Amino acid sequence: MRLEHWRYIIPMRVRSLFRRAQADRELDDELRDHLEQATQEYVAKEMAEEEARRQARLDLGGIEQTKEKCREARRVNWIHDFIQDLHFGVRILRKSPGFAIVAVLTLALGIGANTAIFSVVYGVLLDPLPYQDPSRLILLNETTPLVGTVSVSDPNFLDWRSQSRAFSQMAAVHEVGFNLSGISQPESISGEAVSPNFLSLLGVRPFLGRDFDASEEKSGAAPVVMLGYSLWQSHFGSDPGAIGRTVQFDGRSFTIIGVLPANFRWVEKVQFLEPIGTWLVTNPEATERGARGDMVVIGRLAPGISLAAARSEMEGIAARLAEQYPGSNDQFGVLLTPVREAFVGDMRIAILSLFGAVICVLFIACANVANLLLVRGTGRIREVALRVAFGATRRRIVRQMLTESFVLALVGGGLGIALAVAGSSAITRMLPEDMLMGATIRLNPAVLVFAAGLILLAAFLFGLAPAVRSSKSGIYVQAKEGSAGTGTAGSHNRLRGILVVVELALCLVLLAGAGLMMKSLHLLLSVSPGFRPERLLTMQMELRSPQYDKDPRVINFWQNVLDRVRALPGVQGAALGNNIPLTDNHGRGDITIEGMPQPKPGSYPHPDFHSISDGYVSTVGIPLLQGREFVETDNEKGAPVVMINSKLARQYFPNGDAVGKRIMFGHLDSSKQWFTIVGVIGDTKMYGLANPARLEVYVPFHQSASSDMDVLVRSRVEPSAMTAAIRGEVAAIDKDQPIFAIATMEELISASVAGRRFTLILLGLFSGLALVLAAIGIYGVISYSVAQRTRDIGIRMALGASQGRVLRDVLGVGLRLIGLGILLGLVGALIATRVLSSLLYGVGSTDELTFTAVSVVLTIVALCASYLPARRAMRVDPMVALRYE
Amino acid sequence: MSRPSDLVQGTLDMLLLKILALEPMNGFAVSLRLKQVSDEVLQVSDGSLYPALHKLEQEGWITAEWKTSENGRRAKYYSLTRLGRRQFEKEAENWDRLSTAITRLIKLRDA
Repeated sequence: MRLEHWRYIIPMRVRSLFRRAQADRELDDELRDHLEQATQEYVAKEMAEEEARRQARLDLGGIEQTKEKCREARRVNWIHDFIQDLHFGVRILRKSPGFAIVAVLTLALGIGANTAIFSVVYGVLLDPLPYQDPSRLILLNETTPLVGTVSVSDPNFLDWRSQSRAFSQMAAVHEVGFNLSGISQPESISGEAVSPNFLSLLGVRPFLGRDFDASEEKSGAAPVVMLGYSLWQSHFGSDPGAIGRTVQFDGRSFTIIGVLPANFRWVEKVQFLEPIGTWLVTNPEATERGARGDMVVIGRLAPGISLAAARSEMEGIAARLAEQYPGSNDQFGVLLTPVREAFVGDMRIAILSLFGAVICVLFIACANVANLLLVRGTGRIREVALRVAFGATRRRIVRQMLTESFVLALVGGGLGIALAVAGSSAITRMLPEDMLMGATIRLNPAVLVFAAGLILLAAFLFGLAPAVRSSKSGIYVQAKEGSAGTGTAGSHNRLRGILVVVELALCLVLLAGAGLMMKSLHLLLSVSPGFRPERLLTMQMELRSPQYDKDPRVINFWQNVLDRVRALPGVQGAALGNNIPLTDNHGRGDITIEGMPQPKPGSYPHPDFHSISDGYVSTVGIPLLQGREFVETDNEKGAPVVMINSKLARQYFPNGDAVGKRIMFGHLDSSKQWFTIVGVIGDTKMYGLANPARLEVYVPFHQSASSDMDVLVRSRVEPSAMTAAIRGEVAAIDKDQPIFAIATMEELISASVAGRRFTLILLGLFSGLALVLAAIGIYGVISYSVAQRTRDIGIRMALGASQGRVLRDVLGVGLRLIGLGILLGLVGALIATRVLSSLLYGVGSTDELTFTAVSVVLTIVALCASYLPARRAMRVDPMVALRYE
Repeated sequence: MSRPSDLVQGTLDMLLLKILALEPMNGFAVSLRLKQVSDEVLQVSDGSLYPALHKLEQEGWITAEWKTSENGRRAKYYSLTRLGRRQFEKEAENWDRLSTAITRLIKLRDA
């Protein structure tokens, strides 16, 4: 029924819309035909011809009106009106290009900034993760009371999976790295060892090849690998024939069985996947319950199960396991996190704050354009009055004015979208890759729909009040036959004043936010990292090939590197060490302190470990507080020694007698060695400048070999100039050994505040924009009020008012607006900056100094903007002003 | 005198549909027929007739065609569509129900 209906109606509407002239002609013909027949009918009733014609017309009741009613029946009239208004609007705007350009640019900035930031909001927060039903995916970690979130042990995962009913599936995901060799430049790649059901749990199918097989869960599985799309592209030239070929990972041959889809994302960078059964072959220790490496578990909630239900079930399971295996699990809990949160991380607050900021900018832009329109409105009173006189209804006038606004918004929005294209790619470049977690930021259809919505919203925001105003004043003038609409000028000015106050207030909120961020970043960058970062080069290596399967070989390689690098010209000092500051790299474990009461498994001291060479402390510039640092004789033959950081010393040796005491790695075990503490050194910032120090233990690499190390070089010259020479020395020892993560310490510090800097730069940009717009706004209002009062001012000056007096009066108007704006803005800022508090460092969200400073800045800028028109008022020539009409 | 506004809402549509169900005709003929059949009780002004016809056409209930009449003039002839027939049946049924109910109500004796 409905379908048939539309089959009739659509052609009808289309015809009414596009063949309007013909439809009108036919209507004319039809009615003329009717009149003729009706006249004849009356003539037949013996009426005079003239009289008959008149009667027929009378019956039809006003031909034009009837025609209009028939046209209305077509229901597409509004479209015609709209098109007419559109033409008219474009024509009117072309007549005042100055106004149009200012309005369009203002709107372009407002809409452009919003669109660009929304593309980030969409890409990071809204874009559905490329999984099936991602809201049901939960990440699981273990927790301890002392450390918080820790990795999961494989046996615990297996027990979770067999005991849990709340999850329909679970998979283990273990972070792994490989050295990819046998290619021109050896490189280090990262990926995951996963349970075979990992991809099917996510609802992801390989782009090419096969998925893992259930049999590949058990240790002993053949070495197979699924390549990430970009690795496949860069190393196999996107060749589908890569399936079945082998690659050299850590010197072992892996058969390529598949390729991941291009849009695959995971919470860490994934360049490949291998089945956990393959991984266990080289990592047999992972099957111990107490071994917690780098594993998380992903689970899919069973149908109908809530996160809370799953959480309580899992907590029960963890508690039972803790009872069952107290040696490894006592005090260990479980943490469930929706996978989306793991992707977004700390980005959410920063992004939402920026989104709030751009919305403020858009409001300010709209208020400015509304102000411009109000000024124009007073100039157009006569035009509106004329149209009212010709029978335009008020609704019709409002509609026409809104159409003009729409034209402005459309042009401004179009330009804004172009700005957003440039803006969002600039934003992507500014954002560190690891913060994006594979999110793509671009203008996709969702963002464009948002931009279109903004255009409509903006047109109403800035257009409605002026349109209603001027339709009212038009009618008013017509009734009063007034000369210049003086009656509405007062309320006009009030509305414009309110708009400016709102602009100033919003501007202050943005300035306050930017000010707080700036102060935080400044404070943060002046935090000491605990060492001297100048001219310190770092580069990382991981020894993975079979030739380094024995500790002596590893130690030998590192000593070789160290000796060669120290011999290079320009090197002031060189050392080796792993898990260096500000990289977030870490290795942790429990330690036992000799003589301390044995704690529960979850309550051991759990410091970060560093395997370092002699000279590390002096090269990196960490203060030595007690004892000595490692020397060359702290090797395999020497007594086992460690250094600890000051926090560990304070916490566990409060009497300051740490040096000489002994610790053991892991839990008490008669087969293990005791290490003597020989030195206490200062705390260093391991995980960003804002985070507190953790417990740290340093051990000589000769006594605890580590396959991954950083080379640290303090140079006499620009440190990055040393890179090539160091590369050469490493290649001379082993040409297949990749070097990666090359950075100066200063770059690492800068990267560690990248997220905050990103927020600050954008917030600063937006508040600057807001400041300019608000200044233009108050300038406009004051200029207009001066122009309106020219005659007034002239009279007063003729009566002897001094120039200074006039200046003070005009500035007084501005000051009142500024004062109100700042007052309102301070209240707003007190509320709004609270959301920033987690991004701030060392400064409260209501920092008086910042608030005062930004208020002063805003006042000065706004006063300058008011001063320009005020000076004009001061120079009014009374004679000219009085003659002016 | 009855004006269209006195007609029960939708009644004019129903009348027009019924008239056009008998045979296709032009606007003037509809006007005449309307006056004849209703004994001039339901006098619909020509000024209301045409907008009503156009509305029915836009709804797809009637369709129009330009035809040459017997006296050689081109005129716009309206005829009922399938949709229109169904619409008429629906409205007639409604009308029946309504008028029966009202009649019954009017004839109620005072208790």
